[in-house]
Amino acid sequence: MSRIGVFVCHCGENISRTVDVERVAAEIGKLPGVALATDYKYMCSDPGQGLLKKAIAEHRLDGIVVAACSPRMHEKTFRNAARAAGLNPFLCEMANIREHCSWVHEDREEATTKAIDIVRLMVERVKKDKALQPITVPITKRALVIGGGIAGIQAALDIADCGHQVLLVEREPSIGGHMAQLSETFPTLDCSQCIMTPKMVDVANHPNIKLHTYAEIENVDGYIGNFQVTIRRKARSVDMDKCTGCGVCMAKCPQKKIRSKFDCGLGTRPAIYVPFPQAVPNTPVIDRENCTYFKSGKCGVCAKVCGPGAIDYDQQDELITEPVGAIVVATGFELYTINEKPKGSSIKGYGEFGHGTIPDVIDGMTFERLASASGPTGGKILRPSDGKEPKQVVFVQCVGSRAREKGISYCSKVCCMYTAKHTMLYKHKVHDGQAYVFFMDARTPGKSYDEFWRRAVEEEEAVYIRGMVSRLYQKGDKIVVMGSDVLVGVQVEIEADLVVLATAVQPRQGADSLAQKLGISYDTYNFYSEAHAKLKPVECATAGIYLAGTCQGPKDIPDTVSQASAAAAKVMTLFSRDQLEREPIVARVNERNCVACFSCKKVCPYGAVEEKEIRDRQGNLIRVVAYVNPGVCGGCGTCQATCPSKSVELDGYTDEQVMAMIEAL
Amino acid sequence: MPTKNILNYSYYPGCSLHASAKEYDESTKGLFKTLRIGLKEVPNWFCCGATPAHNVDELLSLSLCAKNLSLADNEEGDLAVACAACFSRLKTAQHRLADNDVKRKQVEVAIDGAVPLEKPVKHLLEILAKDYGLDRLADAVKKPLNGLKVATYYGCLLTRPPDVPELDCCEAPTIMENVIAATGAEPVAWSHRLECCGANFTLSRPGVVLNLSNAILASAKRAGADCIMVACPLCHGNLDIRQKEIEEANGTRYGMPVFYMTQLLGLAVGVPATKLGLESMIVNPLPLLKEKNLL
Repeated sequence: MSRIGVFVCHCGENISRTVDVERVAAEIGKLPGVALATDYKYMCSDPGQGLLKKAIAEHRLDGIVVAACSPRMHEKTFRNAARAAGLNPFLCEMANIREHCSWVHEDREEATTKAIDIVRLMVERVKKDKALQPITVPITKRALVIGGGIAGIQAALDIADCGHQVLLVEREPSIGGHMAQLSETFPTLDCSQCIMTPKMVDVANHPNIKLHTYAEIENVDGYIGNFQVTIRRKARSVDMDKCTGCGVCMAKCPQKKIRSKFDCGLGTRPAIYVPFPQAVPNTPVIDRENCTYFKSGKCGVCAKVCGPGAIDYDQQDELITEPVGAIVVATGFELYTINEKPKGSSIKGYGEFGHGTIPDVIDGMTFERLASASGPTGGKILRPSDGKEPKQVVFVQCVGSRAREKGISYCSKVCCMYTAKHTMLYKHKVHDGQAYVFFMDARTPGKSYDEFWRRAVEEEEAVYIRGMVSRLYQKGDKIVVMGSDVLVGVQVEIEADLVVLATAVQPRQGADSLAQKLGISYDTYNFYSEAHAKLKPVECATAGIYLAGTCQGPKDIPDTVSQASAAAAKVMTLFSRDQLEREPIVARVNERNCVACFSCKKVCPYGAVEEKEIRDRQGNLIRVVAYVNPGVCGGCGTCQATCPSKSVELDGYTDEQVMAMIEAL
Repeated sequence: MPTKNILNYSYYPGCSLHASAKEYDESTKGLFKTLRIGLKEVPNWFCCGATPAHNVDELLSLSLCAKNLSLADNEEGDLAVACAACFSRLKTAQHRLADNDVKRKQVEVAIDGAVPLEKPVKHLLEILAKDYGLDRLADAVKKPLNGLKVATYYGCLLTRPPDVPELDCCEAPTIMENVIAATGAEPVAWSHRLECCGANFTLSRPGVVLNLSNAILASAKRAGADCIMVACPLCHGNLDIRQKEIEEANGTRYGMPVFYMTQLLGLAVGVPATKLGLESMIVNPLPLLKEKNLL
């Protein structure tokens, strides 16, 4: 006969408001095998846990049911308490009468009846629970960082400084990301490149960092502590070992008219190029789509002029597989474009702004390149259409952001601040120019942020107009901005020379497919989801994978760097141990009954099922059976549901337990 | 004379087309007859409620439209609508009632029957551009409107609010341009094709209309248009009937003929000019048409 203890929690009023907890305890106390049933206001509190520990000793309990919240919330808490009192933690189960009952029902009588049912099921399950021992797995103390922007760079440097090996994988030919494109940064107006490029060089020189640029993640296998990552190193067409970075190839390349992505299409670059002069590594790539040699087989100038003979037209993509123990995802963002979006996209674009057809309507990043000393205009503010200095510039905030009707409801967080910065940069360079800003709200929560914004308004004379812009159209060489001033209650028309749109921050294209490779979750906009919005902001729900920077949601540089260091700290916490304890909720094969049909192998989403040979003492093969690798098994139970001979069972969720629960209903 | 129709529709002209916009009705019938598109007027149709109804009582507005839709549902063919406002009201009623069960039940009681939420309601533009097809339309042209520069004016209601009319992209439509380009005319690129003309403020606060419609006429002129093409009786009223007043108020001179799209298309496919109601336009279009050898 079991001696089960049942503890019913009030959860303040969260449960007791709708469920009569005293009655639940009284009814459950009548069940055979229940030695103790009681209720308490806050089971998870220190006295609550003390109550549980004391009861285990006093009543010699051999199983515990805590009827409270979701096991996702507090299963670990109560199992630890049980362990501390000398009970195997896997003999402690939770009955969820909060999320599954009190929160979703209103009728007290019905909710109480349902709560009793829920608890009764768990009592039957606990009776058949077995004491399980945690599984230990080794940890590969080597981290993968995906994305070489400021988030990835910071995380990689922190982990590497701690003495661990880091693989840093970047899709573009150089690391640096968006921060390398910025001119000056708020709220101090320090030059972005000046603070960024030293960090990029640190990455290149760090003995613990292995850098793969122009490379993408092809596949991810394994689990926390033991991932196998396949990286596609795209063909650079330049031998990285031979290239000295002298730049002769770029200077001599006859194809020089390709729009530079780094300069937001304002400048041009050759077909063999580095994205910007401070690129790391300083090894060019050949853009095969635009290279004359690759298009027509003629040319080959770069190969002829290259002293060390580094040009290799026959180079192929290379797949390499590396073991890592933890992964930091830092894939960053891209900006919403107002262009017409493909049919079926939830993003709508801005027809009222001309769908991107007016040349002097640019986005914030393009303005950064105009204002940057290393940009295509050498830092002069000149408009794209005719190279004239604009005397009236209209900045429009919240383009795409906070616009449900355009497909995005969230705030992009950085635009209020960078628009204020843009008005200042503009005023510093065009003293007789006037900046106007259309805004919904000026959101400046951050250290020294509001002071910065007020400086733009009060000292740098930016005119802030509270209201939205309804239409932009070209009129001669001006752009007419039609908008409203909701504070004054009038319609406003401004003839601008240049319009700068603070377009929404979105996740990178392809963020969803990378998430699927990694097995991490993402929201409706493809931002990666953290495990808990408040208490686990850098962890993914998938163990061993951490998030840094804007791939998780819009954020500015200080927040990105903080999150990257936090992700690195989580990786280092993991690496501080030599072995990892895993929950022993894994499938186990009854080798006597297994008929080796391997239906389980076909359905296992983790690839945990192997074929095991059973031999006699002489080494003769007797039969083959299925074997579940406990280090790989995710404990989903699909094999158990599939097995035709009922030979595989999940510990803690055996058929016997499930049947007992059904019978108890 | 053609004997068999290629397409057939039930037809909801709306009040304006029987009164101030008779020429829209006349030219629509002429054009569709020539294109062999059948239009059968919905028996006993009545006012959609227009702007006044939905400003005063939403239930009344929805019920008026629902009843008209149910009358149309008794007839064969999709429902063709000429007036942009009627079109907007009928589509809005379907849209609103589709996702509001409470309202729909009230309306069902009011009209004593079901609301045909799925009944296809089509503006003439949609019929010409999509059902009839631009290629077929181009083939039907007998007198190409070559050299005529047309400012295509959508107004507020043809494409908005988003997701309701389902006619074209709500802020950057092209359907009017495509239709008129099929006749050989040249649609001009201009800024004010989707701005409001002042609509029914023409009666209560004409000053608003003089301002807003002036901006539209000025923009069309600036873009080099010879004329404006509309698909809405109210827009027509403001731009055509009030044009002289606008000129006086702003000290300008436009002399910009404002055609219903069916008048221009009718002319192109060979409907006799006398059957297009050209004589009832306030800004006389005949000098322009003569100059372009279109008469």
